[in-house]
Amino acid sequence: MSAATAPFRQMGSDRIDPLLVVLWIVLIVLALIWIAPAVFIVSTSLKSTQDVMGGGAFAPPTKVYWQNYASAWERGRFSTTFLNSVIVTFVKVPIGLAFSAMAAYALSRIKLPYGKGFLALFVFGTMLPFQVMLAPLFSVVNGIGAINTFIGLWLPYIAFGVPYQVFILHGFFKEVPEELSEAAIVDGASHFTIFRQVFLPISLPVLAALFILDFVATWNEFAMALVILLNNRNWTLPLALMGFQGEFGSDYGPLNAAIVTTVVPAVVVYLIFQRYFVGGLTAGAVKG
Amino acid sequence: MVVVPSDTIVLPRRSWRDGLTSAQAQGWILLAPALAIYAGFALYPMIEVFVLSFQKWNGLSPAREFVGFANYIFIFRDDPVFWMALGNTVIWTALAIVIPPILGFLLALALNQALPGRNALRAVFYLPVVIAPIAVATMWKWMYDPFFGLFSTLLTDIGFQSFIPDWLGNRRIALYSIFAGYVWQHAGFSMVLFLAGLQGVSDSLVEAARMDGASRFQVLRYVILPALRTTTTVVVVLSLIQSLRAFDIVYGMTLGGPAQSTQMLALWAFTQSMQIHDFGRGAAVAVVLLLMTIAVIIPYLLWRARNDKAQGRSA
Repeated sequence: MSAATAPFRQMGSDRIDPLLVVLWIVLIVLALIWIAPAVFIVSTSLKSTQDVMGGGAFAPPTKVYWQNYASAWERGRFSTTFLNSVIVTFVKVPIGLAFSAMAAYALSRIKLPYGKGFLALFVFGTMLPFQVMLAPLFSVVNGIGAINTFIGLWLPYIAFGVPYQVFILHGFFKEVPEELSEAAIVDGASHFTIFRQVFLPISLPVLAALFILDFVATWNEFAMALVILLNNRNWTLPLALMGFQGEFGSDYGPLNAAIVTTVVPAVVVYLIFQRYFVGGLTAGAVKG
Repeated sequence: MVVVPSDTIVLPRRSWRDGLTSAQAQGWILLAPALAIYAGFALYPMIEVFVLSFQKWNGLSPAREFVGFANYIFIFRDDPVFWMALGNTVIWTALAIVIPPILGFLLALALNQALPGRNALRAVFYLPVVIAPIAVATMWKWMYDPFFGLFSTLLTDIGFQSFIPDWLGNRRIALYSIFAGYVWQHAGFSMVLFLAGLQGVSDSLVEAARMDGASRFQVLRYVILPALRTTTTVVVVLSLIQSLRAFDIVYGMTLGGPAQSTQMLALWAFTQSMQIHDFGRGAAVAVVLLLMTIAVIIPYLLWRARNDKAQGRSA
């Protein structure tokens, strides 16, 4: 809204507002405080143990110590766990999103008995805390013999990802004008065709936003993985980081290298797709 | 035109002319995968929590014995940790619905002004939201390191080394030390929602109020705040739900210690079931937390539905 206004001016005024200058300086200081933990972690990840113990918190390393990363990757088995995280995320996110889009289409475009009820059931799930049911999740996954498998992780991940995506996509599909799909229906196209050829293409921006949001959430998920992946060969990065902290918590350099390894992919994805990310997040919370 | 084998075209055409039933069949097929997985791995475990809370079970043995309210009686009467966890969850939630939203609101208000580099500033405050909570826990645990951590080093640098508390080891402050990391992670979330809400505040109304000589404070009080009422409710409710879920950050920093002083309901339910192998008692703890959550979710969703309908009518 005020993007058109020149810096430090109040809307509709062309004089510099001193209060805004003060506010700006306060914000810069606060931003430095906010980013300080990240700077501290990255700089520690590049320090030798002597540097960590000898120098000040924000003193740069005397010599950049890349070995911390090699050591963390080797001892924390991060090449395996990184690959596990990639597999878990890149299978779960597209499949989950496809299922959500299909369900959202069915609920918004096809008259189904109890359609409203199913939608309400999904909306209820958008706020359901899986943290409350970790033990039953374990027993359900154990019941189908899928403990220590990725399938055992994908199923609950999809189950808890679907509600929000259905909710958002249903809202979007509902607003698509009837004429767009009517012509296709008159031509005899099935709903599968209309969904694929009309609805998926026009909802690409929404799908992209949900994809990014879900990518970060899946990459970061810890609690469900904790009860389902008990064997460290199947661990994802968050579990490996926790394990590393437990085992080598006082090897400060490698520990911080492990933190950076875990965090960087999600941060990079966020920075590249920032607009989508924030869009996907606010779409559900503040409509209109 | 591409030549398509005739039956692939005829089939959908015929099925569509069969009328509603076949459209319905297609609908069920589209709905089924999401619904089945959601029912099996989200709704069923939720029901299972209630069932388990009336049973005695170690999680693996085939025998699950019905014990009535014994698990509830135990956690309410004989389990001091439960009350500690409940108390901490209440404190945590009370703080979490006040501090990050207020901070986020102030940031949004400031970053909605014409300031140089405001997009970069927004990105900085939002960045912690995308960091894995377990990594936030690991980061902050290291920053709280009594010898070489960030806070201890900084206090030493300014000559306060004798005042360095044992951030995560002191029972009286550990919960608040963890909460500081939580605020760092969550303020950006509230900020983004408030920024979106501020887009809905009418520029012309703000300008008109200024022209009429309203002070900054009056504009805030009488124009901006009323326009943000819906956003504020959303932010507070989402913060509340998130705070009840707090698990990773506590697990990663203290595991509920020292002496259960940072124990919370979600973590205690997990610990009872998965580490003490008493799924019944764990489920009873979980049910308490689940009921607290549902008591917030249902009225909120009804309010949202009413609100959306009212907006739809006025639009």
